[in-house]
Amino acid sequence: MASADVEAVDFEPEDDDLMDEDGAVDVDNSSPRAPLPKLKSAITGGAPSSLAAAPKKTKGRGFRDDTDADRNSRFAARDFDSLDSDGGPGPQRSIEGWIILVTGVHEEAQEDDLQNAFGEFGEVKNLHLNLDRRTGFVKGYALIEYENLEEAQAAISAMNGTELLTQTISVDWAFSNGPFKRRNMRRRSPRGHRSRSPRRRY
Amino acid sequence: MATGEDSGEFYLRYYVGHKGKFGHEFLEFEFRPDGKLRYANNSNYKNDTMIRKEVFLNPAVLRECRRIIADSEIMKEDDNNWPEPDNVGRQELEIVMGNEHISFTTSKIGSLIDVQSSKDPEGLRIFYYLVQVSHRLQPVPPHHTCQQIDEKLFYF
Repeated sequence: MASADVEAVDFEPEDDDLMDEDGAVDVDNSSPRAPLPKLKSAITGGAPSSLAAAPKKTKGRGFRDDTDADRNSRFAARDFDSLDSDGGPGPQRSIEGWIILVTGVHEEAQEDDLQNAFGEFGEVKNLHLNLDRRTGFVKGYALIEYENLEEAQAAISAMNGTELLTQTISVDWAFSNGPFKRRNMRRRSPRGHRSRSPRRRY
Repeated sequence: MATGEDSGEFYLRYYVGHKGKFGHEFLEFEFRPDGKLRYANNSNYKNDTMIRKEVFLNPAVLRECRRIIADSEIMKEDDNNWPEPDNVGRQELEIVMGNEHISFTTSKIGSLIDVQSSKDPEGLRIFYYLVQVSHRLQPVPPHHTCQQIDEKLFYF
């Protein structure tokens, strides 16, 4: 358990700062009684500090029953296998090849539609076009695997933002070499600049 | 309309497991805000050992995951009237999105019949379909072929 606590600290402090700001901006004070949420992940062995910082509207029995004492021993964070990576930006290779994510896929798309469109850039080693089991329609995304980086990169460059079956699709890497920076996720501020944070150190 | 869909603050954890003659068998994965996906699968069946994988996801994957969560409207549900976890097993779904944080628990759900006969079939149905989707949205961790991971994930 102790080791899990130690290992859980792998967020950059800068990220925490940004999260705290978000919390301050986002908080809807309609539930002043709400306790600080406590993430109970056994993987991390405790709450990611960045999430625990902001009060949230909480709901569910998971906040009440704290009896599962073996949670933290389920898995300490230490022994996770991961690929060697330089930790820098860029895509990460899967064990068999390079995987890209296609989003905005038309709900009536067939595997053949994707095969035809993406087979142009190299042999498609694997294609997952998952269905919404409730509706039977395509869920909206596909995972496609190529053997070579160049093929996957070519597919991303050529297909991202194009139209497939009347819908605009987005194409990007599925995996990354390291944690992504908040600015990559931040899309709601039209101003783009945040003056209060010091420039990030890399 | 989906609150928090685009705000970037997002965490998801799913656990399913039980304790039986092969020890504590479970699968758990989480998507963390920095893009890290962690996945663990444990069974002592035939002396299997715990599988633990982690990989960083591209932001596009988390955006798609947020979209699916938002579309499902799971955040509007409540687990009050869902079957309690029991000896057969336990499921947990924890999501932070925007300024909402849910942590739902319930028993294992074998099929839609279990959903229909529960006290909250509409809410439980959303959960039932969503956790299947959450499984599937995980791209293949680097150490697995698609096939292997699908088998593991769909075993439950």
